[in-house]
Amino acid sequence: MSRPQPITGVSAINCLGATLDETREALRTGRSGLGICPIELPFEVLVGAIGSPLPELPRALAPWSTRTAQIAQAMILELEAPLQTMRARWRPERIAVLLGTSTAGADVTENAYREFLEQGALPHDYDLFRQHTYGAILHVMCELVGAKGPAWVASTACTSSAKPFATARRLIEADVIDAAVVGGIDTLCGMTLQGFRSLDALSKTRCRPFAADRDGLNIGEGGALLLIEREGDARALLEGVGESSDAYHISGPHPEGDGARLAMERALADAGLDAMAVDHVNAHGTGTRLNDAAESLAITSVLSHAPPVVSTKAYTGHLLGGAGATEAAIAMLAITEGWIPASLGALPLDESIEARVVAERMDGRFRHVLSNSFAFGGNNVSVLLGAAR
Amino acid sequence: MIEVAVLGLGAFVPGYGGLAAWSAGESNADLVKASGHLIPARQRRRASGLSRALADAYAESLEQATLDATRVASVFGSALGESATMIGLLDQMWDENAALSPMKFATSVHNAASGTVSIATKNRGYTTSIGADYDTPAMSLIEGISWVAAHDENVIVCCGDEQPPPDLVPDGLGWGLLSAAIALGPRSAASAHGLGRLSLPSIETATSEPLRRDAALERNPCIGLLDLVHALSSRSSGTVALDRGQGRGYATRIWVEG
Repeated sequence: MSRPQPITGVSAINCLGATLDETREALRTGRSGLGICPIELPFEVLVGAIGSPLPELPRALAPWSTRTAQIAQAMILELEAPLQTMRARWRPERIAVLLGTSTAGADVTENAYREFLEQGALPHDYDLFRQHTYGAILHVMCELVGAKGPAWVASTACTSSAKPFATARRLIEADVIDAAVVGGIDTLCGMTLQGFRSLDALSKTRCRPFAADRDGLNIGEGGALLLIEREGDARALLEGVGESSDAYHISGPHPEGDGARLAMERALADAGLDAMAVDHVNAHGTGTRLNDAAESLAITSVLSHAPPVVSTKAYTGHLLGGAGATEAAIAMLAITEGWIPASLGALPLDESIEARVVAERMDGRFRHVLSNSFAFGGNNVSVLLGAAR
Repeated sequence: MIEVAVLGLGAFVPGYGGLAAWSAGESNADLVKASGHLIPARQRRRASGLSRALADAYAESLEQATLDATRVASVFGSALGESATMIGLLDQMWDENAALSPMKFATSVHNAASGTVSIATKNRGYTTSIGADYDTPAMSLIEGISWVAAHDENVIVCCGDEQPPPDLVPDGLGWGLLSAAIALGPRSAASAHGLGRLSLPSIETATSEPLRRDAALERNPCIGLLDLVHALSSRSSGTVALDRGQGRGYATRIWVEG
């Protein structure tokens, strides 16, 4: 069990809007951001594309300019005030950048490689190490944040941006750092969309997590960043994180949700909290038949008191590597705002789903909330957030 | 300063096989491909060359450390991850206009090796997969050592990269495949295993000279972990660089008694 750590800032960008405020307003009014896919594909599909213009990077970082980097820049601009306080409080060598992404700059490479195949040469300005790799986005982030501490990307598919919460917690606890910029980003890529199509996992319409006739997921883009510090003016607390593996299948969940259950139990143990204290769960809730069924079993086995459960993927789409941080940011809104959004598209509910999925916006006092993320490889993370004391 | 015990070492280098052969310079032309013997046959057939190489290094360090494979935590590091699989998918997409292979897509994720090993060993514990270009070995060690510090439990840190896609990297900047692994535990375990201790990496000047044997391997972003396991297997104390000049200059101190 470790001490809770203050979350001192949060920003988000996705198809609902360019800021956390815009995201909150869409969630409050029940507006989905899913729409027509801007990428040329051999099939039609709804996605969560960012529609707002993205800021240009500073001139010195122009060679690193990609959609991923611009999304990062947008989120950092939103965080500027708490970042200034963080920078004043801690030395740059004690500030880490811990990101999650599954795509990094794959969208750039995808288009560059197409040009290579069609024309025999890569675009003249293509640079793998400035536009695609994890080091590229880390360089941009460290420069924009002013951080000189440890910096890495966790890339564990759909848990990528939930992993950094656990890492930040350990690094602060071990006195390796004093603060971290934690979060993740993914962008829309043709390969990702075609890959999920090959798995027959894409919904033909807007996804309907936990609904009786759910038929798959929608992919989205964007992400969220959160500031986690040893001490500071807390908007909420990072109370615990649980990590586990299914040890079952590379792309399918354990049918009883065993790994998911372990992740939630470990998050509670990390926080030193009883399961009864959990007031709300932001579910992974992708909208695929197997994932939602397994997650429901896991939730009900850990949380027998039936706290309200919501999936927000019908609003934003599945942000893959950006999902964990985005949904943690949304879960945090439950604590700070006193309401949880409707689980859009959940009605009529699948009768075999025993978790208490709420299909209407709900007001309440949410002191401890769990945010679940599950991924290919059987990788599971559950983040437990709490109200500032 | 955080210190941890070294419990086991492993590596896979084409033409050498395991760490002992690499350190002794005993090449074997038959050992070009990693066996992936840790992975059950059905999954092994689907595993990439990188995943098999990482699994071989992991298995060697696991065996030397005599750890419980179903429980030990793991950190997998790779700068580019499953880049050959990604290029194969892009070829399907752009060149062949074909539907993507669902299995290739599922194993194109950076954590393919992490997931494959956890499934092979029936391990429901913590595993992760990280990357930081040429700082991948240093950052993987920091992630692993902080796990040991926080939980007082063992961890295997395993890093590797396969050859980068030749069409995407300028001539002369590519590298050869390698993987390396190190099993770490609480400092108190050091004397029982006798392999030494190491410190949390920090940015400092190295004192030990890395092995110079193969220029293509030395460009691999994960060469730093191979340098570290070689230094430990050679039983030489000192400060070992975790990159060959292209990273941020992280190094780790090692102490080998006796």
